[in-house]
Amino acid sequence: MVLNYKSVFDIIGPVMIGPSSSHTAGAVAIGHAARKIFHAPATTLTVRYYESFAETHRGHGTDYALVAGVLGLPPADPQVPNALTLAQQQGLAVKFIEMAGPSPIGHPNTAIVTLSNEQRTIEVAGCSIGGGTIEIRRITVDGFELKPSGPLPILLVWGAKDNDQRIQTKLAKMTKIMRQQSYNTAAKHLVEFDLERSLQQHEVDSLQQGAAELVYL
Amino acid sequence: MQIYATIAELVSAAETADLSLSELMIQQEVANSGNSRDEVWAGMERNLEAMAAAVKRGSTGEGAFSKTGLTGGEAIKLKNYRATHQSLSGDTMLAAVQNAIATNEVNAAMGIVCATPTAGASGTLPGVLFMLQERLNLTHEQMIRFLFTSGALGMIIANNAMIAGATGGCQAEVGSASGMAAAAAVEIAGGTPEQSAEALAMALSNLLGLVCDPIAGLVELPCVKRNAIGATNALISADMALAGLTNKIPADEVVGAMKKIGEDMPQTLRETGRGGLAATPTGIKMKMRIFGQDRDFE
Repeated sequence: MVLNYKSVFDIIGPVMIGPSSSHTAGAVAIGHAARKIFHAPATTLTVRYYESFAETHRGHGTDYALVAGVLGLPPADPQVPNALTLAQQQGLAVKFIEMAGPSPIGHPNTAIVTLSNEQRTIEVAGCSIGGGTIEIRRITVDGFELKPSGPLPILLVWGAKDNDQRIQTKLAKMTKIMRQQSYNTAAKHLVEFDLERSLQQHEVDSLQQGAAELVYL
Repeated sequence: MQIYATIAELVSAAETADLSLSELMIQQEVANSGNSRDEVWAGMERNLEAMAAAVKRGSTGEGAFSKTGLTGGEAIKLKNYRATHQSLSGDTMLAAVQNAIATNEVNAAMGIVCATPTAGASGTLPGVLFMLQERLNLTHEQMIRFLFTSGALGMIIANNAMIAGATGGCQAEVGSASGMAAAAAVEIAGGTPEQSAEALAMALSNLLGLVCDPIAGLVELPCVKRNAIGATNALISADMALAGLTNKIPADEVVGAMKKIGEDMPQTLRETGRGGLAATPTGIKMKMRIFGQDRDFE
């Protein structure tokens, strides 16, 4: 049994704009994950859809939902259906591509989101597994290709290598670390932690210390 | 982190501790989330409010209509029929149908709903809950507990099988919701945890194999009315369990069967809008009218 659904509110909830929890609310969540990893104003957004997402994104409002997530709107925000207009106003160019063939991350509800500006490009491969819950199965950032096990929460920490042990000790007191993987280039060091349960905001804040950058998904 | 892995485990924990399924769910949520009991309770109150608002919106005035024109206004038709006719299936049953349809019409109209467990299946739980509120004079606390019980069973289904139409068909959405609602209805009516499990087993068994074949890929046809079936099937199954009927195949094995059926189901019948009702001549015509063209692949 893979524990994807860890809270009663994953099942009863979210409160959201219809019509589909996996194709609308889940799409908001995938967009939101990409926004957090990019954490700067993006100028272009490209979404590649696979399988059920490719077949039904138009009818389900998946396009505006993904954009809403990238713009930081929560799934029940009445502005969600207007996200494409908001993107235009904010100078975000969007493109949606329906891909033939199976999802490269092995799920019928797959969206691969690419966000970029002049300095940086990131790619997030997410799938919406039902009821608004998502998995992130691949992240391409700063020349690293991360392959998390999928279920959230995932914590990404950039910074000096000698900070890893401190973060790990702190995290282990909060929850079980399901997977830990570090990535290195000459210029950057990044650690991925897949966690068992969600963290409180104050717990995330307490981990910030000593990290150059921290993203909590 | 402790999560009940099976329905048998949940039922046995409830019997051992002499606690309700809703109480076990609340305790698990408090332990796993780090939030206080009051916060967890308040979170569920917000969900209940959203559900009540959707039922009200779909049952007021002319009702809710989707942009495509495929669905809308039928909860109002039922409301008027109930007021002027003696119905065949009985007024309480039709109240559940009306609540379910109202909610899913609001969902199709891109209004605000609470996913239970999904938006496509969002009418099933409210269908049952708001009808029981009137029929059994439920207190606010009982209504909140109904949602925690539903959530407890839904988590086990979701973690052991699936709740998305794209992976398991409609049996995973409306089927799961119907099983959850049946189990919660039993608890609220004073049944035992074991009877809740039986109600779930019967409700889900009745909907095994149900495919996800939405016209034009939209959560409208046949989704709205399938929630009417989800709600009424939940009530019938809850009554059967309370009367002492059993499913013979245990609830966990029914969930396992649902998973296997979902895995065996062809992709055309898993929320692609390319099989079943979506592939009928009328279904295809509707799709062409809405989108003007079939899709292009890159």
